Amino acid sequence: MNASSVNYAKEFWERLQQRPFPRLVRHCVDRIFSGGESAEPGELDPGIGTVLALLATPGAFASLFLTDHYGSLILWLSGRSTSFDPYAMSSSDEYFFIVLAMVVAGAVAVWKWDRLVPDRRDYANLAPLPIGSSRIFFANLAALALLAAVLSLDVNAVSSVLFPLVVCWQQSPMVFPTFLATHALTVVLASAFGFLAVFAVLAIFMALLPYRVFRKLSVYVRCGIVFLLMVLLATSFSVPQKMQRLGHASRAWTRLPPPAWFLGLCQTLRGLKGSVLVSLGDAAIVGLFGVLLFSLAAYSLCYARCFTQAAETPSNLTRGSARPTTLAFRVLDVLFLRSPFQRAAYRFAFRTIFRSEEQAFALGGFLSLGIVLASQKLLLAVGKKPPPAANALPSAELLSVPLILGYFLILGLWGVCAIPAPLRANWVFRFHLDPRTRECVPLARKIILTFVVPGLTAFCLPVYAHFWGWRIGALHTALVAIWCVLLMEGLLVGFRKIPFTCSLPKFKSHAIVNALLLALAYLAFTSATATIESWALADPLWYIAFVPFLLGALFALYFWPKTMLDADPALLFEEQSVRVVEVLNLGS
Amino acid sequence: MIALEAKGLRKCYTAVPAVSDVNFSVRSGQVLGCLGANGAGKSTIVKMLTGLSEPTRGQVLSFGASIHKDLVVYRRRLGYVPEEPELYSFLSGWEYLELVGTLRALEHRRMEKKIDALLELFSLAPHRHSAIGSYSKGMRQRILLIAALLHDPEILILDEPLSGLDVVSAMVVKGLIKALGERGKAIFYCSHVLEVVEKVCSHVMILRKGTVIAYAPTVELQTMAGRSSLEDAFIHLVADRDAEQTASDIVSVISAA
Repeated sequence: MNASSVNYAKEFWERLQQRPFPRLVRHCVDRIFSGGESAEPGELDPGIGTVLALLATPGAFASLFLTDHYGSLILWLSGRSTSFDPYAMSSSDEYFFIVLAMVVAGAVAVWKWDRLVPDRRDYANLAPLPIGSSRIFFANLAALALLAAVLSLDVNAVSSVLFPLVVCWQQSPMVFPTFLATHALTVVLASAFGFLAVFAVLAIFMALLPYRVFRKLSVYVRCGIVFLLMVLLATSFSVPQKMQRLGHASRAWTRLPPPAWFLGLCQTLRGLKGSVLVSLGDAAIVGLFGVLLFSLAAYSLCYARCFTQAAETPSNLTRGSARPTTLAFRVLDVLFLRSPFQRAAYRFAFRTIFRSEEQAFALGGFLSLGIVLASQKLLLAVGKKPPPAANALPSAELLSVPLILGYFLILGLWGVCAIPAPLRANWVFRFHLDPRTRECVPLARKIILTFVVPGLTAFCLPVYAHFWGWRIGALHTALVAIWCVLLMEGLLVGFRKIPFTCSLPKFKSHAIVNALLLALAYLAFTSATATIESWALADPLWYIAFVPFLLGALFALYFWPKTMLDADPALLFEEQSVRVVEVLNLGS
Repeated sequence: MIALEAKGLRKCYTAVPAVSDVNFSVRSGQVLGCLGANGAGKSTIVKMLTGLSEPTRGQVLSFGASIHKDLVVYRRRLGYVPEEPELYSFLSGWEYLELVGTLRALEHRRMEKKIDALLELFSLAPHRHSAIGSYSKGMRQRILLIAALLHDPEILILDEPLSGLDVVSAMVVKGLIKALGERGKAIFYCSHVLEVVEKVCSHVMILRKGTVIAYAPTVELQTMAGRSSLEDAFIHLVADRDAEQTASDIVSVISAA
């Protein structure tokens, strides 16, 4: 490409930007990525480039992790033939990539939920300008189409090349292009389906519900969608096998989730025969067009109702009523919220978790992940054994269920506390509090304990006592409670923030190590503990195995904070990044 | 008795000081108005007076002691209304005031009664359980005023407290400031609205590019500048350019082909 054509393209782009409609489209794209009513400067709001890079990462890593699965050495070592049918052998991985594409695109739609449809702020800014309402409608539609297209391509860009390369490495050269084209087409369509499906839910809710009710319900709907996306991700382990068992079943698409339809489409495009695959492929095409039409209709309806009528609908200021939680707070004050600081900050934390969208949504995400993993364990346990007899003992899988829920709830609460509620409003804490206060850990401890312990005890004790007797119920509940307290104490070492008032943590070099430690802690907390406990229930001597772990944990919790004596004990409102270069000031 | 005193305050964010060599004092019962154009250093001074920011040089004294000696004790005596009503939008007005009152360790029953009474007087009672996110700017400003007054402070620092208020509420607040001054409170009042400062403040300090260019009782300042109103005196002291000429220039630019 010569310099003149580059200049021409530049000029064309600049001229295009100067025309009203393309400028409006650009504005809509910008507001989706960084803007909207809920945007807060300084908070989690990365730019377009960062978002696109992050979205491409899961597919890239997943492809790389599969290299050994299809490597000839591994196949030879595992006693399998090194010449294999790439289409048949890769079907379960293909299903995983389709699910991943759908889930990531759906997750982006959930993340940008508030910004996909023009809101009241857009109305206030755009309506007074001499722009027809239909132009704003089409500009936002064009921005959405652009977003869906870019998202679909970006999420799958790396994996579309890497995964076919990994699978077809040792196949004939003719296989690779077919595999690549069918895989790329399918995952891109799956991404579009995922994005459009979530958008359709948003648009229909906005169209049907009054604005105020929508704002209130929005966070719960988002949490519900996140839960469904997690469930979809979890189907990667079971659906491919189920598909093989279906044989020639009619209307197979009704028994399988949407990613299976797209797998059917992919395999049909690759020339694999079978009535099930054909029916699944047809379902994918019909489903995609259906969701496209449905989301268009819902968008038109919600635009007409929410945007063009924004000035006609009353403001959301209403005469609210006093909340019934006040009495519960009074009880907590009497029982264990000792100081004014704890009373004020606890109420604030409680209200933030339930009312602030970011926090409720993030906690919902953690909890959904926990529920999905716990359900998988439960299904695994139920599938393994017949219903427990009166004298039977619970399996490790069954014992791990409350541990998984506890782990994700505690980790979620701890993580959510690091997400700031509007940061500019934290002056009220900066202004009123003694920066030397040492009550942050007791406060966080009380928040976590009141959220975790009553719920887990109420679930654990009656359920395990009902199926396996009071002794096992009480023992298991006690173990879950002790483990939860240890995990919480470990996470709170060095904690000196008031929840939701500090800026987001900066990326530090040890963040990856911390993430790995949390993953290891998950395995120790759930699988290892449950396995040892199941042995201990059969032979109580095994309880001794917990003693060294318990002592080690107590020892670490006692001495670890002492190593932090040099750390500044003052309240933290702004996370500091680690300096890459230290200036030594040798000249002074 | 001098309730609040600034001695040689200087604040540098860059090489150019935002505020330099600022000296003033506010006695109990005095209302000191702080005037200045945008960027004159008013907000920087307010931040230093509230202890939210430390001066690069100089110190802020309260009743003779540096405020940084015991910031917590100082803030117990202080009520502060910031320039921007940054509040937690998911809390209701009542809940926000309860948060502030509890952080100030006020006795709960008395605090609740006081909150209810003040919400009623500031015409916010019907909306006390609505989320602050749905409040207008004026309503948020009234919440901030109540939060600043809840503990009956000895010193008040008000940064544009009338911003966004309707006429009636503004009149109430003006009367309130005067009454609080008469009851012995020391008030530092930042504003752009000259006529309010003229009516409410016993003393005036004018800032220009980070330095104090005038500091005197309101009436004396007008006399010193040889002007009939504070607005004339302010323009005479601060204005870099002729306002009428600038207005005329703007009209020419707008109407240019």
